Amino acid sequence: MPPRLNILSSACKALARGVTRPVTVAAAPHQQQQNAFLMAAARRFSDNTTSPTTPPGQDDSVLHPSMFPQNQQSDHQIALSKLEMVAYGLNPFDVSVDGHKFGLPELPIPSEMHKSYRYDAVVNLMTKLLMKDGKLAKAQRDMTLILAYLRKASTPKLNPARPLVGYAPAPEFLPLDPVMYLRVAIDSVAPLIKIRHFKGMAGGGRALEVPAPLAERQRRRTAFGWILDAAAKKKSKGSGRTMFPHRVAEEIVAVVEGKSSVWDKRFEVHKRGTAVRANLNDFRLKTLM
Amino acid sequence: MSAPNCLRCLGRRPSTATTVTAAGRCAPFSTTAVNGNVPMRAKTPNPMAKEIGFRSGARLTIKKKKVNHNEGKAPAPGERKAYRKKIVLSNDNALPVPWLKNMNAEHLASPQSAGKVLSLPSELQDQLRASEAFQPSQNWGFFRKPSTLVRTETVDLVTRMQDSASEKKTLRLVVTGSKLVGKSTMLLQAMAHAYLNGWIVIHIPDAQELVNASTEYGRIPETEPTQYMQPAYALKLLQAIKKANEKVLAKINTVSSHPELPQNIPVNTPLLTLVNAAKEAEGAWPVFHALWSELTNPNANRPPVLFSLDGLSHIMKMSEYRSPSFELIHAHDLAFVRLFNDVLSGNLKFPNGGAVLASTSRSNAPRSPSMEISLAQRKAEQAGAAPEELPKKEPYFKGYDDRVEAVLKSVEVMEVKGLTKPEARSIMEYWAASGMLRAAVDERTVSEKWTLAGNGVLGELERASLLTMKYF
Repeated sequence: MPPRLNILSSACKALARGVTRPVTVAAAPHQQQQNAFLMAAARRFSDNTTSPTTPPGQDDSVLHPSMFPQNQQSDHQIALSKLEMVAYGLNPFDVSVDGHKFGLPELPIPSEMHKSYRYDAVVNLMTKLLMKDGKLAKAQRDMTLILAYLRKASTPKLNPARPLVGYAPAPEFLPLDPVMYLRVAIDSVAPLIKIRHFKGMAGGGRALEVPAPLAERQRRRTAFGWILDAAAKKKSKGSGRTMFPHRVAEEIVAVVEGKSSVWDKRFEVHKRGTAVRANLNDFRLKTLM
Repeated sequence: MSAPNCLRCLGRRPSTATTVTAAGRCAPFSTTAVNGNVPMRAKTPNPMAKEIGFRSGARLTIKKKKVNHNEGKAPAPGERKAYRKKIVLSNDNALPVPWLKNMNAEHLASPQSAGKVLSLPSELQDQLRASEAFQPSQNWGFFRKPSTLVRTETVDLVTRMQDSASEKKTLRLVVTGSKLVGKSTMLLQAMAHAYLNGWIVIHIPDAQELVNASTEYGRIPETEPTQYMQPAYALKLLQAIKKANEKVLAKINTVSSHPELPQNIPVNTPLLTLVNAAKEAEGAWPVFHALWSELTNPNANRPPVLFSLDGLSHIMKMSEYRSPSFELIHAHDLAFVRLFNDVLSGNLKFPNGGAVLASTSRSNAPRSPSMEISLAQRKAEQAGAAPEELPKKEPYFKGYDDRVEAVLKSVEVMEVKGLTKPEARSIMEYWAASGMLRAAVDERTVSEKWTLAGNGVLGELERASLLTMKYF
């Protein structure tokens, strides 16, 4: 941060000495436009690559003065540049312009800017579930190919007997948003509960089956596990490294169209859960709690 | 009923020749007890076992996992490869781009269209598909219509092609560049220009197929040094040429009769008829040879010819074929490769002008040190280097090949580089308008993707923007 000065006094001194600095910015009528232009000039028009081979530092005249080391700039030069900014109707102490090549980031920094949360939560979880032997890069490529398949697959024909999750958009929008496609498929077949087995508690050595609710992440994990099982049983049509992701993607399409056997699994779990829900009040469980 | 043995004979000793005992069958000196081969009986359970308290209850038996071998019908031969190589050129989900224009005959040569995206008209699509210009690794299938970005390099290449055709010269050029930079697409654009301007196009989509001993071959009689023809490949190539160049071939006629062909092809027959004469692999090579001699006949008025090949380094080394003395055949002794090299080296010229284009490959390319050094030298020459400043061969390396260097002695080299930022912006706007890139295409996005793509390498730009887990 350049030292705060008495701008006017040092500017007057500089003017008296006749120091001039090449003007790098052009006047524009509107302040916002000016601001944008000044910022673009400061980062040397990265849109314009007509001379991409010029090494940095050769045409220093375009650089904003605040980008030089401070000891090379005299106080009155800084003050003059500030005065220029005042003359163009800009705020001389605007932090978004001053000394930042691309301006300052918007705060708070959005969560997807963090490297660990770069991808959508569902995509991230599914990629990790696709992974075998710790080969994350391969799993990521597979996920990429799954999403690419979903974008190219024709619009799914929905089955009214297998309603999708509530937030699902109209089917014709699904291929244009493959992440949403994946999320809709998984959330639609995700089971609400699992069956817990308490060994030997039902009497006669039988296990006591008790339904237990699942958290969102658990539900998705279960659903994608089923989808992967179904995909493993499918047969590849071709050969090559796209085959596994294509089978998974076909299964996802089958889920949305209501043709997949994963729907039956979900139905079975829910049916069993309803049947054994009375066990929630079982007196033998209370001894455990 | 008579007795099987004569009663008188019963008194005699039985002859050894007719009665073979078990003992007679074994070797006379063997000590093995042949007849002692009594099957082992199961051990009788020890009657004392129970009393003493040995284990006698259920025993552990490990069942083998049942493997279900009956998993339905196996795919027919070639079916899986066909699925892998399938080329899809349209996607109904993609939004139509209203400002997209169809390419016409002048577009690719005009500097105004540099940096614009143009789509391929449907007839051209069929021609390019017939000559296998599209590759399954390219991402045509994302968009509603196949379209390409016209680059400054494209305009440069096409202008040179046009100039050489108008001056009745043959442009000899090798397209190089780093991986995924768009070398094959550059060939495709050159072919598109040629088709739109009525040229005859002969394209070898993958040079690997010529040299990896995957098609049958045979000696061409009366050639010195011996050359080899590849009849099955000749048939395939002729069919592709016929399908792609049908209209042009129907218009031009033969100027000489071809007595070497079994069919009667008199003078003034359309070339299409000549090409149609190849029905089976057997007679395909002579037909191709006849077609070639017609196209390169200096006395005939022919349209310009474009001869292109993808994957140059495959034909710049020894092939996998063997001669009758079981020595490896040099790729330049294969007749197809020889024809290509004759034009590329400048020994043979298309009388009415044309171009011969080769592109190197970076993903599936064997090393060819001579080709690498020759192309580096040509590039340095074009940059104006003095002869003593040219890249030099390693003095102790033995893998160089004089025949390769002779072919590449005077070719032009065009190195394809990454896109400029305005070009990247143009193609990204097309992607966004198609609904495949879900982001605002502004300076920041373009800059970000351009940098991620290794300074605008087009294939990497596609990977960063289209083939990604993150669209926003």
